[in-house]
Amino acid sequence: MNHKWILLFFIMTSTVFISGCWSKKELNELALISAMAIDKNEEGKYVKTIQLVNPGNVAGGLQGGGSGQSPTVTVYTAMGDSVLEAHFHATSKISRRLYHGHANLIVISEELAREEGITDILDAFERDPEIRTTSRVVIAHHTKAGDLLKSLTAIDRIPAEKVNGTLQTTERARGESMKVTLQNVITTLTSAGKETVISGFSIKGDIEQGKKMENVQQSELDTTLESDGLAIFKEGKLIDWYQGDMSRGVVWILDKIQQTDVILDWEGQENILAYNVLRQKTKVSADTTNDLPVITVRVRAEGDIREVRSQIDLTDPYEILDIEKELEKEIKKQLENTVIRTQQNKSDIFGFGEVVHRSDPEKWKKMKDDWNDTYFPNLKVNVKVEAFIRRSGLRTNSYLSDMKQ
Amino acid sequence: MEKAKISAYQLFILIVLFELGSALLVPIAIEANQDAWLAILIGMAGGFCLYLVYHGLYSYYPDIPPTEYIQKIMGSFLGKILAFIYVLYFIYLSARVLRDFGEMLITAFYWETPLFILNTLMVLLVIYTIRKGIEVLVRTSELLFILIILLGISVLFLIVVSGIIQISNLEPVLEEGIKPVIKTTFTQTLYFPFGEVIIFAMIFPYLNRPKKVKRIGLLAIGFSGLVLASVIAINVSVLGVNNINRSPFPLLSTIQTIEVSGFLERLDVYYILITVIGVFFKMCVFFYASVVGTANLFKVKESARLSFPLGLAILILSITIASNYSEHIKEGLHVITLYLHLPLQVIIPSLLLLIAFIKNKKKKSKQSKNLFPKRKYRLVERDKK
Repeated sequence: MNHKWILLFFIMTSTVFISGCWSKKELNELALISAMAIDKNEEGKYVKTIQLVNPGNVAGGLQGGGSGQSPTVTVYTAMGDSVLEAHFHATSKISRRLYHGHANLIVISEELAREEGITDILDAFERDPEIRTTSRVVIAHHTKAGDLLKSLTAIDRIPAEKVNGTLQTTERARGESMKVTLQNVITTLTSAGKETVISGFSIKGDIEQGKKMENVQQSELDTTLESDGLAIFKEGKLIDWYQGDMSRGVVWILDKIQQTDVILDWEGQENILAYNVLRQKTKVSADTTNDLPVITVRVRAEGDIREVRSQIDLTDPYEILDIEKELEKEIKKQLENTVIRTQQNKSDIFGFGEVVHRSDPEKWKKMKDDWNDTYFPNLKVNVKVEAFIRRSGLRTNSYLSDMKQ
Repeated sequence: MEKAKISAYQLFILIVLFELGSALLVPIAIEANQDAWLAILIGMAGGFCLYLVYHGLYSYYPDIPPTEYIQKIMGSFLGKILAFIYVLYFIYLSARVLRDFGEMLITAFYWETPLFILNTLMVLLVIYTIRKGIEVLVRTSELLFILIILLGISVLFLIVVSGIIQISNLEPVLEEGIKPVIKTTFTQTLYFPFGEVIIFAMIFPYLNRPKKVKRIGLLAIGFSGLVLASVIAINVSVLGVNNINRSPFPLLSTIQTIEVSGFLERLDVYYILITVIGVFFKMCVFFYASVVGTANLFKVKESARLSFPLGLAILILSITIASNYSEHIKEGLHVITLYLHLPLQVIIPSLLLLIAFIKNKKKKSKQSKNLFPKRKYRLVERDKK
């Protein structure tokens, strides 16, 4: 009996000591990082910018009161010879323990990416168990990476959320940018047959104005953050920016397009028809019978007519067939333009090398080392597009066909 | 030996949990690159053969554990030395599993906690379970097996739904030919995890239906081999070969990649549950074998009494076997496979089986010769009555 009491006593006391309080961190001791940015200054040191969430102000804003006093985020910068050193130097400015668990955005400056490349700076992020490998990576276009984090935004109160949200929306609606995670970047950096593409983001307006609360207290913001093209890398260095249809071509060949629009000329008139791609599938295959592989990109797109600005007879199936052919030509032209420019850049961002690797491992071994410089620019790339128009919305012909002329 | 009985179904579960235990944790078969799953499947086929060897020995001596029948086969002196080596081997392996467990938790989640604390907690749990006996262990395994299956299915579902599987990462199949795959099999996957079922030779005597042992064991190895191969194939298809090669815990990285509709992410807890349950059972089985083996070898009547000292030994061993993680993994996947696993899992059991086979043949032929006189004797006895 005595035994049992002693045992019970030990069990009771043990609950005090082993109930998970080892290196405990209370929420009010943590500084929640929402985004990080890496720049390089003139002295050659890394500048790390950390965007911290101001929890009270975010919650207050959502309830409609309490906001307007102070911003939703606070930004700190620190310097160091390596990314991690910069991080530790930042602790001298912040009263709480930095917590990366909620960080979901890594911004890298264009200058750093162009001059030195991004290869050296990502290890610290990948290694840390606290940082997610699914964090988004973006390149700051025309601006310093740190400045991108300093600008306040409306609707999404945390700028990092705004950046991620914008990327996702443009990816879904138009396909000019795409979600690139830390893991994607590292995978493409290490792959011999695929180069890195990262979405760009830029500040429109005055940077100093963007830091102030007044910026978000107006209906039209002086300073806004915008998704801005795709950064094309070669061996870890930024070499080119693609915009508009050019960047959509990249996303298209990578088969990441979910929805997009194509504007067509018709019978001599420019930009008459708007076609909305609702679903598409792109397949890339390689024929390696000859010395130089032949790449075939097959696109199959399905969608609706969304805008007509002339008197096209959409009730006529033959007319629809003609429009489909025209569409195929237009998409083909756009994709081919993207391929040609990329071949001039000598950077295989489409992963054609990986396709060759898969279909003929023996030949790939010989081509692997000078793939980007010798083989990729000279590849013959066939683009085959099949486009289908299924519907045309709630009207058949446009009212323009009934108007008296 | 305690008087306990295990059913065939319980053996199945125990073998499956044992096989998956630490194999899900560490990066196995990565030398075969994208063909790792193939190396596992070939290792599984080898595992079948090894299991038949262990089962063959068991069928000659169905009622006694290996530590005892080794002495019958090899003679008392040599047999005792060999049995002692096996007990040490089991102790070492359970220390290894314990270290795997601690390293995983520290690297990924408790990076400020000392290894000693985590390992102590686990060892205390294992000691407690083993003191309660093998029946308690298998009944616990029945309960937790259901949990593991549910977790596994839901993780698989989430991985598929989040669309991160890229089958193209598994291509090209057999890029360097079959050679590296075979090499990986014979230097690694055959012994770890499949050859380790040798430990179940210590448990066979407890089975209530010895006839089923063979079928159930093969089924369990087949099942766990398929699960393991598909998990590794999923890892490769999600992360790609390069990322796998750099990940100490590939399954964790795979699970961390899951993102479903913006809020189902960071599902690390799935990984913790699956691996901790698996490691717990693997460790329990190894530990139980060490305890029973020691008791049997040194004629200790109450084997449960040994669990505390042996537990302490394993705890200290688990911390001292390697000074860092790289050393631990390098030893586990490349050194001990050839210098410990190969002789102790393959060569010695095969030799034992051969000797047992010859010995028993002799016995049988002797028996058949004696058949007639015996009967005569019995008849005489009856006549007396």
